[in-house]
Amino acid sequence: MKKSILTILSLIFILTTSLAQETEQKTSVQKGHYNISKFKQLNEELPTPNKEHTASGAPGYEYSQQQVDYKMDIILDDEHQKIFGKETITYHNNSKDDLDYLWIQLDQNVRSPNSKSPDINGGGPSALYTPAKFTKTFMGKPFQGGFNIEHVKDINGLDMSYMINSTMMRLDLSKPLASGEKLQFNIKWWYNINDYMAERGRSGYEPFPDGNNLYVIAQFFPRLAVYNNVEGWQNMQFWGSSEFALEFGNYDVSITTPKDHILNGTGVIKNPKEVFTKTQYKRYEAAKNSFDKPVFIVTPEEALEAEKGKSSETKTWRFYAENVRDFGFSSSRKFIWDAMAVNFNGRTVMAYSLYPKEGNPLWEEHSTRVVANTLKVYSESTFDYPYPHATSINAARQGMEYPMICWNGGRPGIDGKYNERTKKGMIGVITHEVGHNFFPMIVNSDERQWTWMDEGINSFVEILAEYKYDSELFPLTKYPKNITGYMSGDQDRISPIMSQGDNIFNFGANAYSKPAAGLFILRQTIMGPELFDHAFKTYAKRWKFKHPTPADFFRSMEDASAMDLDWFWRGWFYTTGNNDIGIKEVKKYHVTDKPTEQAENLAKRYGISIDQLPPSLYLVSEDSKDFTEDIRGKKPEDYSILNSYIEQNFSAEEKPHIKSPKYFYELVFEKPGDLVMPIIVEFEYEDGTKERKQYPAEIWRLNDDEVSKVFPSSKSITKITVDPDEETADVNLSNNSWPKTTENKFENFKKNQIKG
Amino acid sequence: MLIPLLAFTMHKYYISLCEVEYIEEKQSIQIITGLFIDDLELALSKLNNTKINIATNKEPSNIDEYFKEYLSNNLKLTINSKKVEFNYIGREYDDNLVRFYLEVTNVKKLESIEITNTCLLKYFEDQQNIIKLKVKNYHKTFYLDNNNTKGVLNFQK
Repeated sequence: MKKSILTILSLIFILTTSLAQETEQKTSVQKGHYNISKFKQLNEELPTPNKEHTASGAPGYEYSQQQVDYKMDIILDDEHQKIFGKETITYHNNSKDDLDYLWIQLDQNVRSPNSKSPDINGGGPSALYTPAKFTKTFMGKPFQGGFNIEHVKDINGLDMSYMINSTMMRLDLSKPLASGEKLQFNIKWWYNINDYMAERGRSGYEPFPDGNNLYVIAQFFPRLAVYNNVEGWQNMQFWGSSEFALEFGNYDVSITTPKDHILNGTGVIKNPKEVFTKTQYKRYEAAKNSFDKPVFIVTPEEALEAEKGKSSETKTWRFYAENVRDFGFSSSRKFIWDAMAVNFNGRTVMAYSLYPKEGNPLWEEHSTRVVANTLKVYSESTFDYPYPHATSINAARQGMEYPMICWNGGRPGIDGKYNERTKKGMIGVITHEVGHNFFPMIVNSDERQWTWMDEGINSFVEILAEYKYDSELFPLTKYPKNITGYMSGDQDRISPIMSQGDNIFNFGANAYSKPAAGLFILRQTIMGPELFDHAFKTYAKRWKFKHPTPADFFRSMEDASAMDLDWFWRGWFYTTGNNDIGIKEVKKYHVTDKPTEQAENLAKRYGISIDQLPPSLYLVSEDSKDFTEDIRGKKPEDYSILNSYIEQNFSAEEKPHIKSPKYFYELVFEKPGDLVMPIIVEFEYEDGTKERKQYPAEIWRLNDDEVSKVFPSSKSITKITVDPDEETADVNLSNNSWPKTTENKFENFKKNQIKG
Repeated sequence: MLIPLLAFTMHKYYISLCEVEYIEEKQSIQIITGLFIDDLELALSKLNNTKINIATNKEPSNIDEYFKEYLSNNLKLTINSKKVEFNYIGREYDDNLVRFYLEVTNVKKLESIEITNTCLLKYFEDQQNIIKLKVKNYHKTFYLDNNNTKGVLNFQK
């Protein structure tokens, strides 16, 4: 007896000393920290709001942007694959600043023999070199690409001073261009057009075995860089990957081509009667009333006839484009041209496709219809498409966008046959590139800095547009789980979305698929379509024909929805973390009216006896020592204290509507992943019925590793699944169910394989 | 610009993902390897000098024979310093991907593993074959390409 008391005493002593030691150790090593909550507001990451980019995410009352107008005469020399241009640039300084110099983009210089672009890519020798690759890498004579600037003159014909740094040209002004003033000057240039099939590139020409060329011409003239209050001059070099930042303006362009060429470009053709035959012109006008199906402007027969010849005469196409950020065109003898009208609240927009016979029958079946569908779906998500036409050009191996016009690959085999994959790829690329008219051609973000702002946002709307065009070919079910492979990859090879475009691993997954998947999760799961769509539209309308930044997007989405999404932007856009939420433990509880140990402790803390506790019910878990078999299966209503409360407080009408839970579960969720996400839980009951509950992401705000929730139920639960539809990009599904499933994907497949 | 996984886009990825997991209780090495169908179609067609369609109605009825041969020539495993053969469990098509399920059985203990993956390297100079290896709680990723076709992991101390 004595001995045992001593043992107990010593035990207590040991316990208290060890407890004391623990506390002491804790206080001596624990250090403070900054706010490391995943729900911390983004104020430190986002730029301070100002009168141009406001805290709401809208343009402010002092918002301004420069305007640049171009008048150009272009000659396309098909014989020698050269292009010549004379341009008059009118630069409007709408900023509050005086400018000492202007920066002009010379994108073609990325292909000049002394371009540094190939030099920035590291890597040892390849395992094998095809003869073509070997000669190109070690022996080849470099392509004589790049701009040849013949002169830069002021309006009086006097030479202006300039300096070229790779793909950027600084034009020095004899006196600063004052705020509100405009400056006119002329540049004369030419360059050798690249065979983009051999040299790669977003523009150039594709040679055909029949001797014809198909030109897709872009980044083809010296273009002004953007000057604003975000980057100053956006004059980061063009390394070939990160795209463009450009000012809006009006374009008056004449293009001289061989007489037998067919051409379309940015803007409206001002002299259709001069460039089309009489019949073609009639069809060109008639097409404006064809709202139900595409009709030919240039027929396959006419194209076939044209590609046999080689005219030495020329003709000049005159274009005018209002409020565009760039100009591109495509020209060839081989072009078939079809057209369909699209109605936007009484305004007619033309959907056009130009393609060689090699694109058929795929192109005549789908291209123009896809263009029309894309314009409609994107307009519903943003604003009515404001330009007069959208044109899809068939150019092999391309996928590149310009205002009103884009180049798209996708051709059937030589036998004219194609499979579903080719068709799907072609519809996908056309939807994507036509969609770029909205992002970034109109909602004009800085592509050089933020690839995701045009590619990611565009890839998101693309998902909706493709689904509308063919829901079987483009099911929504693959999103957002398509991104889990990338997000669960080696962290050394992942960069946050918020990284400049030249410095990211896995360009496609980083800047296209991941932001698109993120917006998909926001729309479908976190915000819901109603809130999301309104906020997204708000962003698009606010920044239509302007230069938004990431902060303007993040802020607008919150401003228009009353949802604090800083945790989502922080996790998904600013980090490389991924989502992994699981169910760790499920405990079953029963109801009793007998105070539990926990209740006794509570009473003690208040210095009262158990009898003094208010009449209460208690939940007891099956593994607790308070549990006795007699409370198993008892309903809460079996206890008189609850019954009398119900009698006194609920009317006869209310009583039948009272829920009467019989089973109580404590669900313990674990979160090995870095990201916070809503917890979506599916409960399957003994009778086979199912129910869902979604806990907001904010459930993680005080504990980033583990949370528990009590779930009352009138039926016994047989199975619990976290994120049953895979809508949160959970990278690890092995902890998503209770009872734990032991079979992985491989074993499942193997089992079905043997069965089948 | 377009990057999605399309044969005709200039900046398309050339990537494959091969997930390898050792399950000790089952003495099994489970492999799931995914390749882009159009890339594999091109490789098989060139190799066999005839157009081979995959996942279309023109797919040859003995397509699995082509797959088995290609995989056994291009995915090589050495376990505990011994070359081993895998069982071809099957394959599934998922959108533009084909996923192969392969298994090495009777691996009582895993001391070392060496994986050589030359899938598609011959036809696509930019091809990258990613191997994700999982042994219990240990994860390792190899990035294989034309410069480096082999990943080795040694568990012996």
